[in-house]
Amino acid sequence: MQMQGDNGKQYHVQLEKGDVGKYVLLPGDPGRCEPISRLFDEPRLVASNREYTTYTGYLDGVKVSVTSTGIGCPSAAIALEELVMVGADTFIRVGTSGHIQKDIKSGDLAIISAAIRDEGTSLHYMPIEFPAIADIDLVLALQKAAKKTGARHRTGISQSKDSFYGQHEPERMGVAQNLLNRWKAWEIGGALCSEMEASAIFVIASMLRVRAAGIMMVHATEPMPPLDILLETAVQGLREIIAEDKANGRAVN
Amino acid sequence: MSLKQHHIQLEKGDVGRYVLLPGDPGRCEVIAKHLDNAVHVITNREYVTYTGYLDGVKVSVTSTGIGCPSAAIAVEELVRVGADTFIRVGTSGGIQPGTKSGDLAIVSAAIRDEGTSSHYMPMEFPAIADLEIVSALRRAAQIKGVRYRVGITQSKDSFYGEVEPERSAVSEKLLDRWRAWEIGGAICSEMEASAIFIIASMLNVRAGGIMAMHGEGEFGSLEPLIETAIVGVRELIKGDADARR
Repeated sequence: MQMQGDNGKQYHVQLEKGDVGKYVLLPGDPGRCEPISRLFDEPRLVASNREYTTYTGYLDGVKVSVTSTGIGCPSAAIALEELVMVGADTFIRVGTSGHIQKDIKSGDLAIISAAIRDEGTSLHYMPIEFPAIADIDLVLALQKAAKKTGARHRTGISQSKDSFYGQHEPERMGVAQNLLNRWKAWEIGGALCSEMEASAIFVIASMLRVRAAGIMMVHATEPMPPLDILLETAVQGLREIIAEDKANGRAVN
Repeated sequence: MSLKQHHIQLEKGDVGRYVLLPGDPGRCEVIAKHLDNAVHVITNREYVTYTGYLDGVKVSVTSTGIGCPSAAIAVEELVRVGADTFIRVGTSGGIQPGTKSGDLAIVSAAIRDEGTSSHYMPMEFPAIADLEIVSALRRAAQIKGVRYRVGITQSKDSFYGEVEPERSAVSEKLLDRWRAWEIGGAICSEMEASAIFIIASMLNVRAGGIMAMHGEGEFGSLEPLIETAIVGVRELIKGDADARR
């Protein structure tokens, strides 16, 4: 079934072929799309429906877009599926996250190489044993970008969860002991940060043979600095992968 | 009291920080021939260890035996005697169509289709390889000019469950899941990577894997696999030296 309305647009994101570039940044917050789009050349608002806001512009002459996913894997999965249907094939999730490792400072960037599947959506796609991993070339491009922007950064695993308050106030929950035990496991396992969309994006990207990775600013105990360095690094990451794709003769438009 | 680890019978100084991990004890000597001044250190159960040098740096080969239970023991005990960089090297079955026998799989992550890693981490946690190792092995494959893919391996507990699923009482389930791994893009199937990766994440050491795949056509010599793994270790040694400078 092709979920398209009478207008030929994808059902939820309200986009059609040509509306977006192959390269798409995926913030959670619709309000963050406009500030990100200002880092593109000639940005324009393409569509805004539910939590899905899309801007399209250019970087180094190549069409790029930013589409918000809303909070959580259920809405992020829809965004990814529909963006692939209209021609996108390279995704960088960009957003904020909570720290898991205690030596991380607020404002440090986490480049996400894989995700803990602590959510329900990706189970509709693949058995739980299957790893949620990022594309290696995108991860390397983001590392290169972070070196260029001078951002403090680490590369590693993110926990993708379905409940914000289950993480922040676990003792309130009927499954408090389970939540606390598992949080300890993620810490022992070396996971860097906690957010709510990466794992479904990665599992679905593997299935659809498209590329995905993520870069998150981490919130630790100190107040958060402005997000500018995160957004600049994510956009630089797009420039790096575009340059590499051009060098390898891969179509960029 | 012996300072030697219970199963692998090694103590500090016996191995380098870089260790190649074949499954088959019989393959250790073959691999060790690619090291300078290799010596046989010890053999106990399925654990055979040789230590030699590459570019003046101490490098070892230790067999894990078949399966995650014995591989987990090998990694735990090798870390205790000072190793911190592991490359699993072995054979595997190809999953994707178009795989030719002898094509190399550079493993970036593993499907946890086994029981051992659940004793370490909840199932939602991803079994991933170290990025530097994956990059080094990819450079090595390019240098050697061999056919290779980078991707996910299925690490299973039952060899015959994979090759003869219809015999099993859970055959429907095995067939369904195999289809899932294929849809998900997994490139090969073997029996040790996922536990090695999960334990490496927990112990904060590096692990990766490179596997020759069975696919279309005759399976030839393992030499290209071993040579590529050796170049991969050299690339890592060079990268680690650069990082220190």
